[in-house]
Amino acid sequence: MFLPASFTLGESMKDGNDMEKQRNFKKFLYSNNTAGYVFSLPFIVGFLGFTLIPILVSMYYSVTDYKLGQEANFIGLQNYLDLFADERFMNSMKVTVIYVVISVPVKLAFALLVAYFLTKQRRGVTFYRSLYYVPSLIGGSVAVALVWKTIFSRRGLANAILAGLGLDKISWLGDPKTAMGILIAMSAWQFGSSMIIFAAGLKEIPTTYYEAADIDGANKFQRFVKITLPCLSPIILYNLVMQTISAFMSFTQAFVITQGGPNDSTNFYALYVYNHAFKWSNMGYASAMSWIMLIIISALTLIIFKTSKFWVFSESDS
Amino acid sequence: MKRKKIVCLLLSGLLTMGLVSGCGSSSSDEGGDAKNETKTEDTKKDDAAKEEASGDKITLRMAWWGSQTRHDATNKVIEMYEEQNPNVDIEAEFYDFDSYFTKLDTLVAAEDPWDIIQMGGNFPKYENSIEYLDSYIEDGTIDVSDTTDAFLKTTQNNNGDQVGISVGTNTYGIAYDPAMFEEAGVPEPTDDWTWDEWKDACLKITEELGVYGSSKMDNFIAGVTQRVSQAEKDANFFNMEGTGLAWDDPEPIADYFAMIQELTEAGAYPDAGAIKEIKDIENDYLVTGDAAMTWVASNQINSIVNAAGREIKVAPVPRMEKDGAYGMIVQSSQMLCVSKTSEYKQEAAKFINYFVNDIEANKVLNGERGVPIMTEVRETVKAQADDSSKMIYDFVDKIGNFPVENSNVISPEPKTEIEDYDKLLIEKVQYGEMTPEEAADDLLEFAKGKF
Repeated sequence: MFLPASFTLGESMKDGNDMEKQRNFKKFLYSNNTAGYVFSLPFIVGFLGFTLIPILVSMYYSVTDYKLGQEANFIGLQNYLDLFADERFMNSMKVTVIYVVISVPVKLAFALLVAYFLTKQRRGVTFYRSLYYVPSLIGGSVAVALVWKTIFSRRGLANAILAGLGLDKISWLGDPKTAMGILIAMSAWQFGSSMIIFAAGLKEIPTTYYEAADIDGANKFQRFVKITLPCLSPIILYNLVMQTISAFMSFTQAFVITQGGPNDSTNFYALYVYNHAFKWSNMGYASAMSWIMLIIISALTLIIFKTSKFWVFSESDS
Repeated sequence: MKRKKIVCLLLSGLLTMGLVSGCGSSSSDEGGDAKNETKTEDTKKDDAAKEEASGDKITLRMAWWGSQTRHDATNKVIEMYEEQNPNVDIEAEFYDFDSYFTKLDTLVAAEDPWDIIQMGGNFPKYENSIEYLDSYIEDGTIDVSDTTDAFLKTTQNNNGDQVGISVGTNTYGIAYDPAMFEEAGVPEPTDDWTWDEWKDACLKITEELGVYGSSKMDNFIAGVTQRVSQAEKDANFFNMEGTGLAWDDPEPIADYFAMIQELTEAGAYPDAGAIKEIKDIENDYLVTGDAAMTWVASNQINSIVNAAGREIKVAPVPRMEKDGAYGMIVQSSQMLCVSKTSEYKQEAAKFINYFVNDIEANKVLNGERGVPIMTEVRETVKAQADDSSKMIYDFVDKIGNFPVENSNVISPEPKTEIEDYDKLLIEKVQYGEMTPEEAADDLLEFAKGKF
């Protein structure tokens, strides 16, 4: 450490101008901004290479007839026009919306309920909390989807239980309604990450509120509705937005368990995009679909935020 | 402090470089440089090592789809080849059918497909990425002296270019459980049985035994491409040039839809959910005893028989009329191709030659991909065949001896999309959302729109 320093010192004494330059360079090198940029360089490169550039490329492809391995020709908005005449596309939009509208509230309600019980001071609460979190950790994986598929297969656990109860077997994956139900149940089962966030939020609510309500003679239900829900509403908003976005993009379950069937009843948006892009090579068409998805999700998120002022409670307002 | 900062700078710089080079494909130059470097290192260290390293180790990438039996056998043959050719290193990848083509599609788009590609009748879509093998046959790299022009023709395109070398021929049929037929009192299929007989057998078996009459059918072949060729001799659904349809009568297609609908309603054919539960041929409902028949490619008979562990026989696909056309020929089940972008085309061709001609290798492969096209290889494999394999040879011979018909077995580029649409239509008909006639009209219209 000492040697190089004295070396630079000796050098700079020779030539004042050179010293000036070197100092400027050092200033640049050691300034906070430079360090900041250098440290964020890995992210910036990743963001440009894996996010921004692909997004722009897909925007270009969405106005071409690009098929994998072939030339892309500009065709204007034809893909977008074709989409709205495509019955399967309309259907995939419909089933995705059904899935989102049912699975997100069910999942959040379930997560809140479990979080509510797990914030009570009881023995082993942390253990149970981790236990309930496990399904979310492995949630997106193909393995879980395969397990789920096996449970509801013709000779699976679900039918074995039905048979044990003396009921008829059900073709779970063969009936459009039950197939969708299975996917929704699987999503609700993966409530862990929302639950952890709810649990953290519940702990933040000051106990004095509850004590005051107790003195005023409020019952448990009243306390929940008048204290817990309003105090938790910012966190509900956060969970709602995050879960809605991820539900719109759900792919693995439908891809592994139902493959979009039966009769396209679980042909989720993301799955249909995947099939067009990678199975049938219609990259241009799939890109157009992805852009519509982006617009829908953005619009929906915006709407949720706009309505939030009517139901999200913040302490500063009151 | 300063040094710490510089170290940090260097480290983050390195990380970034790693990230950047990580994304880029390892180009041939890089690889070459790295090898040269290790070579000089080795020269200094040790003479024996130099001997090995200077032999210019080349790496060939190869991939295929198939069952576990195929993966095991092919890996074994690759090992044997590497032993005989120490300078060649073959990196093998294997997938199920759908993933294989998804992966190939992305590799083709990146202009970096495997050196040796396994390919089926859907080659027109990938022809731009495939090196024709004619010149390799001419210069003797690939020896075809032991096969016939007819066999070579099974893997040529319309211009007569040799797209690949067939690693086996096959044809389709109906595998069935004779014991179940007997138990249900249904006569066993004959060589000229009809779809009506097939349907009646399905219904009767379901009624008597409570199992599916038939497991999953290939509804696109049985219900569309072969059916069209059966409805009118020498007619085809796709034209020979692969540029469009050569058929516009919805009636035979509608009849097939109606038949499947009737069987599904009677519980003689699996519904859409049950179909999705069949993971591979080893888990087919015929194997598990839940069905009396199933659609089968002749090279899969072995797997089915082994997995079922009981007597399974195979019959030709039913016809529309007793004396009508059969609509199907013996075809190349799959071929090996060399990619146009391969660095080592010559070496890849050499491996293909080994794969199709070497007797020891084929003893291991055991005709699992289909009946070999090389005469001596075929005789060897036949000689070591067990009963179920013998059945394959007899069956393929039988179909090969049917009167010659002009059936198109090459699939044009949009075939997958049309086939998937056909699957959807079958479900729509099964769930009563469409009549068979509407579905057939819709299919023709959709298929036309794809060209």
